[in-house]
Amino acid sequence: MDISVNPPVSNPTLLGSAGVRARRSTDRLATVVLWGMAISIIVMLACFVLYLLVLGVQYMTPDFIFGLPKEGEAGGGIGPEIFNSFYILVLTLVMTVPIAVSAGVYIQEYARPGRFRGLVQFSAEALATVPSIVMGLFGLLIFVYFFHLRFSAIVGAMTLTILNLPALMRVTQEALRTVPDSLREASMSIGATKWQTITKAVLPSAIGPMTTGIVLIAGRIFGETAALIYTAGLSVTTNSPYDFSLGHPAETLAVHLWYTRSESTVPDVARIGNGSALVLLFMVLLFNIAARVLGRTLTKRLTGKSS
Amino acid sequence: MIAADPKTKLKAADVDVFYGSFQAIKNANLAMSEKTVTALIGPSGCGKSTFLRALNRMHDLTPGARVEGMITLDGMNIYAPEADPVVIRHRIGMVFQRPNPFPKTIFENVVYGPKIHGESNKKRLDEIAEKSLRQAALWDEVKDRLTRSALDLSGGQQQRLCIARVLAVEPEVILMDEPASALDPIATSKIEDLIGELKRQYTVVIVTHSMQQAARISEFTAFFHLGEIVEFGTTSDIFTRPKEKRTEDYITGRFG
Amino acid sequence: MIATQAKRAHAQERIATTVLRMAAGFVILAMALLLIYLATEGLKLFVVDHFSVFAFLFSGDYQPDTHPGAAIYIVGSLSVTLFAICIGGPFGIAVGIFLSELAPLRMSQILKPAIDVMVGIPSVVYGWLGLQLLVPLIRNTTGSPGFGLLAAGIVLSIMILPTVITLSEDAFRSLSPTLKEGSLALGATRWQTIVRVLLPSASSGLTVALILGIARAVGETLAVQLVIGNASQFPHGLLNPTSTLPTEIVQDLGGAAQGSMLEHALFSMAFLLLLIAMSLILIVRFALRKRA
Repeated sequence: MDISVNPPVSNPTLLGSAGVRARRSTDRLATVVLWGMAISIIVMLACFVLYLLVLGVQYMTPDFIFGLPKEGEAGGGIGPEIFNSFYILVLTLVMTVPIAVSAGVYIQEYARPGRFRGLVQFSAEALATVPSIVMGLFGLLIFVYFFHLRFSAIVGAMTLTILNLPALMRVTQEALRTVPDSLREASMSIGATKWQTITKAVLPSAIGPMTTGIVLIAGRIFGETAALIYTAGLSVTTNSPYDFSLGHPAETLAVHLWYTRSESTVPDVARIGNGSALVLLFMVLLFNIAARVLGRTLTKRLTGKSS
Repeated sequence: MIAADPKTKLKAADVDVFYGSFQAIKNANLAMSEKTVTALIGPSGCGKSTFLRALNRMHDLTPGARVEGMITLDGMNIYAPEADPVVIRHRIGMVFQRPNPFPKTIFENVVYGPKIHGESNKKRLDEIAEKSLRQAALWDEVKDRLTRSALDLSGGQQQRLCIARVLAVEPEVILMDEPASALDPIATSKIEDLIGELKRQYTVVIVTHSMQQAARISEFTAFFHLGEIVEFGTTSDIFTRPKEKRTEDYITGRFG
Repeated sequence: MIATQAKRAHAQERIATTVLRMAAGFVILAMALLLIYLATEGLKLFVVDHFSVFAFLFSGDYQPDTHPGAAIYIVGSLSVTLFAICIGGPFGIAVGIFLSELAPLRMSQILKPAIDVMVGIPSVVYGWLGLQLLVPLIRNTTGSPGFGLLAAGIVLSIMILPTVITLSEDAFRSLSPTLKEGSLALGATRWQTIVRVLLPSASSGLTVALILGIARAVGETLAVQLVIGNASQFPHGLLNPTSTLPTEIVQDLGGAAQGSMLEHALFSMAFLLLLIAMSLILIVRFALRKRA
């Protein structure tokens, strides 16, 4: 909506004073600046993507993606790291989704305002503020020091579960909020219990936003680093690209990228770094697109083509 | 047209409904006879819907709402502590003002109730769906697209689907809260015809803001004003020989 | 028959509700345990090793095993966060204004997904890009090694942008449209309206956006660690390597012996980080409640 109308020149009283002209040129300047800032973000992002693409795509060989890392010499791959990223992702989701969705449903649909509900909401908000490095240290303290578990995928997953609980709870609550009350009324008025209403009418209706939210969180889990360094560990088993055991250290791709630059001893750091960064970026984009597409498809399927 | 001595199916005795400290319904007494249509009329905001929702314990779902007095179904108090609202809502169904089908297929909508109540036999469910949709005068229009989304239907069709959904659980009483007010005249007359058929089997209580509609379809009418039942009687009595001045004023259009 | 089946449904619901309640309780438990464990471990430095709190917070003398004064890292964290919010804050709010007031639909459709992608990019990748692109750039233009506050600050600014942008946009969108209409109807230009009417009206929402941006910046570890140089010295200017609380933790925890003073010191730093982050959010919460 453009409100800066150009007055007809033939009517001089509408041209306005120098003051008005100054205001209008400030307005134009500001508009240009804001547009510039917005475009610069897109350009910057494009540069990042292009840089990683151009420099990393040459390393995308099966050897690299599925191969084993090497210590001290060039030519290592990131196979086990990619596997660990997925493995930890699945383990985390398996634990977080039931707990977070249950808690979210309870808070949104059942709990009456009171101390318990307030405490749960406060705890969720507080947990959400914990920096991931601190969460990693908590994981270290409780799982490794106290329970004497070893650095492993399961310890990493348990730590990430706690880290992502608040986000998934919020996703659940917002998804439930999108379901109108008339739906709940329709179900209750046929003689369904609240639980039946939630499981058979409300949750199925909220499946679109829930899926989008879960997939986006999955993307974040895939890229998580700080919380995993001291819980899932910094090494991988070096004789196979996959390792399901829950007792061995399970370095993920994101941690590997950091480790390669910070600590490790291989000479082809740029290759491993750029390659890993590209794979990570690619996975993030994939999760992002999948979240959007899945969410939209599921919602459309529910509401029919008229929506 | 009305049985000589109609049996009372649903009865309200000295019913008050409160929202917090606000009293929405005062001292309501009403006997609704079985297999008849009882219309609740009155100006907007006078409590007709509030009273209706007390009849199937929908106020249980509203925090701060309180129902006092006695409402009995076949003589049994539905607000007794041992009464189960789930059972009550099974026997007393409700159709809402705006159609509210679930975002599921037409079939899934109709069989939602029976499935909730434990029916899982596919053949039985198909039979129930067909029977209910026929009763709701919707079968011919949807029989070839049962697996399509219910939200694709027109407003009038959606409302008939909601009626079918209620019929599928085989209630004894059907409460209707201005079921046609969101529909066009053609859809409205279809719903009215449907109600004429339904009363042969079910007890119907309908809230309506249209006096013409009440006169067309009901045997008994109750006039609500400011939360009270001002007058109750046969529909013809209410509309031709109202006893109370307020009733007469409303009927002749002097207010509301 | 109706009654028996209803009874079964009620029994199911009772079990389900108990399970749900337990899940909700788990959240409280996790929070409590986290606080307890971190506080316990974090206070060992003072209770077991008898190191003074004052020295920890204000002494710049960092001897890992005897006198871990953490002021260097505290100052580092504060500096880099300040830098990030001074650059990323206004930039983010500006783009938030752009999205809610100026952007045509086509532009929103490109920019918003771009921001979503930015949120999703893992912090290591930002750090890596900073390392590969930004540090050499700084090195070439200034002759310094390239690591330090400038690099870390820029990387952090970029990372908090999505948070600030989205929250700012929300803040502007939640304003009543009559505010804007009233100002325009009086002959104000769009920019004047934004500066004189919209910005002040959205100030509480914008404050939240900034505080959440700060919270994000304070806790960021790896992106910063890759570009800040990790030297245990105060940040003298923008171009000298330094460290922050999170980077020091991640740098030295691996080498710290369990039970050593260094380890205790690192956990104290973690506990400090936790307190800072939590208090920021509590401030937001109470500020919101006061406005509401």
